[in-house]
Amino acid sequence: MIGKFFGLLVAAWIGAIGALGPAHATPAKEAPWLPEAAAYRLTLFLGNLEPIPWDQVETAWSDPYHGSEFSADALAWLSANSDIGAEPVLGAIVRKDRQALFEAATQTIAHRIEEELDRALNADDPATAQQAVQTARELYRAFADGVAAAEPAAARQIGRAWLELSNSTGSAGVLGAGATPADKEAMNAARLTISRYLAENYLLDDFAPRRQLTPLPETAILSGRDIDLPPSLPPGADIFDQDPLPLLVLNFEEQGIDETDLPLIAYGDMLFDSAQIFGGPARDLGIACSTCHNRSDINQRLFIPGASHQPGAIDVDGAFFNPIFNDRRDDPLDIPSLRGLRFTGPYGRDGRFASLRDFTRNVIVNEFAGAEPTPFMLDALVAYMQEFDFLPNSMLTADGRLTEAAPVAAARGEAIFNRPFEGLGNRSCASCHVPDGNFLDRQAHDIGSIDPAYSGARSGALDTPTLLGTVYTAPYFHDGSLPTLASVVDWFNDTKSLGLTEADRADLTAYLETIGAADEPYEAFDAENTPFRLAFAELTTFASTLDTLLPRRDAEHILLLVDTVGADLSADASTMSNLSARPDVYALVERLNQVGAAVRAEDWDTAAAIWTAFKAEALTLEARAF
Amino acid sequence: MLVRLNRRSLLALSAASALSLGTPLAAQETSLRLAFIPQENPDKLLGDIAAITGWLANQIGVPVEGFVTIDHAAAVEALRNGDADVSFMGALPFVLAEAEIGAVPLLSEVYRDAPSYTGRIFVRRDSGIETLADLRDKDIAFADPISESGYLYPLAEFVDAGLIATPNDADAFFGRVFFAGGYQQAMQAMAEGLVDAAGASQYADLLLSPEQQAQVTWIAESDAIPSHVVIARPGLDAGLRARFVDAMLRLNAPENRNLLRYLYGPDGYVRADSANYEGVRAMARRYELLQ
Repeated sequence: MIGKFFGLLVAAWIGAIGALGPAHATPAKEAPWLPEAAAYRLTLFLGNLEPIPWDQVETAWSDPYHGSEFSADALAWLSANSDIGAEPVLGAIVRKDRQALFEAATQTIAHRIEEELDRALNADDPATAQQAVQTARELYRAFADGVAAAEPAAARQIGRAWLELSNSTGSAGVLGAGATPADKEAMNAARLTISRYLAENYLLDDFAPRRQLTPLPETAILSGRDIDLPPSLPPGADIFDQDPLPLLVLNFEEQGIDETDLPLIAYGDMLFDSAQIFGGPARDLGIACSTCHNRSDINQRLFIPGASHQPGAIDVDGAFFNPIFNDRRDDPLDIPSLRGLRFTGPYGRDGRFASLRDFTRNVIVNEFAGAEPTPFMLDALVAYMQEFDFLPNSMLTADGRLTEAAPVAAARGEAIFNRPFEGLGNRSCASCHVPDGNFLDRQAHDIGSIDPAYSGARSGALDTPTLLGTVYTAPYFHDGSLPTLASVVDWFNDTKSLGLTEADRADLTAYLETIGAADEPYEAFDAENTPFRLAFAELTTFASTLDTLLPRRDAEHILLLVDTVGADLSADASTMSNLSARPDVYALVERLNQVGAAVRAEDWDTAAAIWTAFKAEALTLEARAF
Repeated sequence: MLVRLNRRSLLALSAASALSLGTPLAAQETSLRLAFIPQENPDKLLGDIAAITGWLANQIGVPVEGFVTIDHAAAVEALRNGDADVSFMGALPFVLAEAEIGAVPLLSEVYRDAPSYTGRIFVRRDSGIETLADLRDKDIAFADPISESGYLYPLAEFVDAGLIATPNDADAFFGRVFFAGGYQQAMQAMAEGLVDAAGASQYADLLLSPEQQAQVTWIAESDAIPSHVVIARPGLDAGLRARFVDAMLRLNAPENRNLLRYLYGPDGYVRADSANYEGVRAMARRYELLQ
């Protein structure tokens, strides 16, 4: 294809993350957003938070969005590529006028589309016209999901107009061969369709007051109709799993017990990967427990604007996921690892939940707006999570002493770790991070890492975290404010006046890096042992719980299972290396959907028969599932 | 080092240049100039060019400069004028450049273990369309009128099936034929139901969302198309050309593979064989693009 190398064919699609189809836990890479379109979408997203983070709204326009492939921010981009001024947007931000900001930002994008359409129509050559049309269309993307949700017929008409525009710009060919002239009449007609719609819906002097900032067209808002606009994350959001993927260590698996023989645990494993147990936007966006806790550990790249102050952190009691649970405090937490979970209670950064079951329910119902889970679901989730083990570390004994494999510096550091310090109240590091207790004491201490919330507050105590596996869980502290284990040592040395020399600090850091290490911290993939193979094995294991649930005629939990596994398997197929086997995976998904349909119809014999066929087909497919 | 450039052909000039002083240079081998074809994000491409030209300079021992042209025609023009020594190109532009200016193929991209790919006709699974004949009077979107996998080869399938006498008769068979501007646009138009079918690279469905990918299938596949090619101007010094090719082949080494992402993201390169492009030359003649 001219102008596009097929090496560019990475799975990057235009559309907001999770805006299409059923909820699943496999996000898709998005095509990059143009800077001003990104700023607009970020403005909508942040403008719906309560309280509005105005400083972040400003940086949405003045800084490139998180992970942007464009080095320019929206203001610089506008200045370089447009005659449209940003004063109305900036003025509204200064005045903290939400409605005015919505209007100015919407007008800016609509004007930019018109500007690029003018360029396309006035272009002297096809290449320039094509670039302008492409830019205009990428800008229209900022409105597209709103139009599609509110007025499908209009969305289709405009979609055809974009096709007509692209089609009629002509082609320069190559060296004169294959050149075709522009069809200005067709271009004008198509442009008129787009411009009329913009004029009626986005390029207005006055807009109706907005309770929610959305890309919905004005005519739809004025109609008062209920419109189901799928939630979307703004540009810069990143809910992909981290790479490299943490290694999952399950106690039963290390003992050679097959998960398919543990249906309660297997069902809990499925729930841990299921967005269906949540409600609100999390469910629609495909966010599951495993989104933050990859393979029982953390996700260092997770980032949601307005909810994350840095990658790997999130505020789960903010305005976005469950408004009724909004604590109106900007207090994102660094995602904690769940390794060794049965040894690390109480739960929550400040140990507010003594029970893992209570903590889990709070995550589902309050943090992520899910329906009340059934006792079976909570039992299954807890059973599964209690299998999370710490990473094996050959430099450490089970009771927390160094082995001969540990470096000498670590041995010196061990002595410092166990030495009482006056600055620690004549306690040692080991007093709280108890070596033979998995390096924690199951208590909360106020070490001064949290500024008092108010005068006289006694709210800074945090649950002692384990030090196992910490080499792979940077950054550190509840807010991820310290980037390295060395910086943690420095923090204690400075704030607790430990008086450690540079050599002492290096030795203590070496000790932390030794006890926090692992023999194999990450999943190992190769040409055939791919992430999809791992997903296929997991999802078919999840499905194996049907052997238990079908005889019990447990429709509720069967449907939750098939909806989760079916959607995930279908979405994961898009990541396959072995593309020739992909249609067979889709066929397998269809089998599972048929099980669901039969259960919904209470046709249990048919459901059982299809499930038997599924198992046979999955077995046949297994070798090619990569 | 400054590069003389035809203003019309220049979209942007990267500041990317690097010099390795470790290799003695012949007097005439003063630099290597690479012409890049723009992609979706010119801003990113400039960063990519800086990274890859720096590495190449160290490998080859001469300053390597890169710049972005507005399209393939401008890149070929730059090769003709001597403003560029090497460029990156699809198979069709290469055979046209070969005929016009004697461009020389150096390297072929490898993608998914093959230096070739195909074009396919995609439809929605629920469309009821199962054969090419079912597309009579239906609307189809192709990528671009001079795209190998996104037009020429897929359309030829209709000719070979006896549904169209010549490529010029396509309008009489289909309801409408659109050139959507790229693989992604053509595929999206099909997936969203704006048209009934799309002609695009065999990998183009990977540009759809995961949900859309499950909703589409393909009903015809073209002959193999040689993958994209790295070409040189005919007068380029043979020694410099050989060093460039050797350096590019070192990108296949595991320790260098991360650099491939700066070059449109192939899985690797193999030496190009001009004979492999005979089918493309024949296809170009079929479409009267080549005499």
